[in-house]
Amino acid sequence: MLAGLAGEAEPYRRLLNELSALLRGYYGRRCPPGLDAEDLVQETLIAVHTRRATYDAGQPFTAWAYAIARYKLIDALRRARLHLRAPAEEADALFVPAGADAAMAARDLERVMADLPERTRALIRETKIDGLSTREAAQKHGMTESAVKVAIHRGLKSLGGKYAPQEGGSDVEDD
Amino acid sequence: MSKTTDELIAGLTADVPRVAPGAVSRRVALGLGLGGLGSAAVMLAWLGPRPDLAQAVMTPMFWMKFGYAALTGLILAGVLVRLAKPAARIGGLTLAAAAPFVLVATMAAMRLAQAPPETQQAMLMGHSSMICPWRIVAIGLPLLAGAVWAVRGLAPTRLGLAGLAAGGCAGALGAMIYSVACDETSAPFLAIWYTLGMALVAALGAAAGSRLLRWR
Repeated sequence: MLAGLAGEAEPYRRLLNELSALLRGYYGRRCPPGLDAEDLVQETLIAVHTRRATYDAGQPFTAWAYAIARYKLIDALRRARLHLRAPAEEADALFVPAGADAAMAARDLERVMADLPERTRALIRETKIDGLSTREAAQKHGMTESAVKVAIHRGLKSLGGKYAPQEGGSDVEDD
Repeated sequence: MSKTTDELIAGLTADVPRVAPGAVSRRVALGLGLGGLGSAAVMLAWLGPRPDLAQAVMTPMFWMKFGYAALTGLILAGVLVRLAKPAARIGGLTLAAAAPFVLVATMAAMRLAQAPPETQQAMLMGHSSMICPWRIVAIGLPLLAGAVWAVRGLAPTRLGLAGLAAGGCAGALGAMIYSVACDETSAPFLAIWYTLGMALVAALGAAAGSRLLRWR
């Protein structure tokens, strides 16, 4: 380390190599699942390097380096805990409004489609929402494929005309 | 994985500039120096030096106030330098930091014991006891900011303790600066209210330390 402080690269490189092996052992035993021990080794090496001015010549090098390693471990654990807590707090915010939106959209859709003929409504729901192909929908209702396409097209067009006076309906119109 | 660590080491050791000895002390001195300038500016703009400063510097009491705060601040700066390094021992310095207070408190107790009872109240409370600690806190804040800046750029590993030392040091040096504006003249006042002001800044530093001194 003294060589490193004096600016001698080669002994310093050997020191960091030996230290990385020691750190791997240190974090290998202590690193909890979910944290990457090798990341901690690298972070500690960087800290040892950038903060090497805080090493005192009279001090045992390992005590100094392990104090940094311990700090880095505690810091990583604290951040990991923060990360674990954050999604748990966000979960409600994420899913409740999303579900509510979907429910509202479904209710709106029912109301909008109520004006359409029964069979057109069923065809639109099956092909656009439930994900049937035109052919499957045609078989189900005993129609030809082109008749199904025409019915859906007309249904959507009439919806578009009624509910989207400006520009609207484009996202449902193209097949 | 181990490949990238080897690369990292190669990168870190490609160019290793020499580190001059004493870099830690110099950084702490710089932080406290800049903070001290800020604190002195606050004192001058807000309170100004006491009007009778020219006569006051001839009295021992002025130097007792100034010296008590300065000595405590310097010793705590030494503690702070140690706490800015991983695994460093503070050792006897904590005891040394309490020595000026013990001295001042002893002197205060003696003066108080010798004084006629009707003047004791005045000796204890002075005329500014209710504002003195708060002024020390306000004047100490720029110093605390300077100390925090210096230490978080180093490698403290006991953050609460380092925060306590940073606050104590800032409070004591802030009290030193305040003593130029303050015209109280009794040792008991110094022992109680100056110490309380320093302790408040120290408590602030300890409370904020674990958050403010965190480094990556």
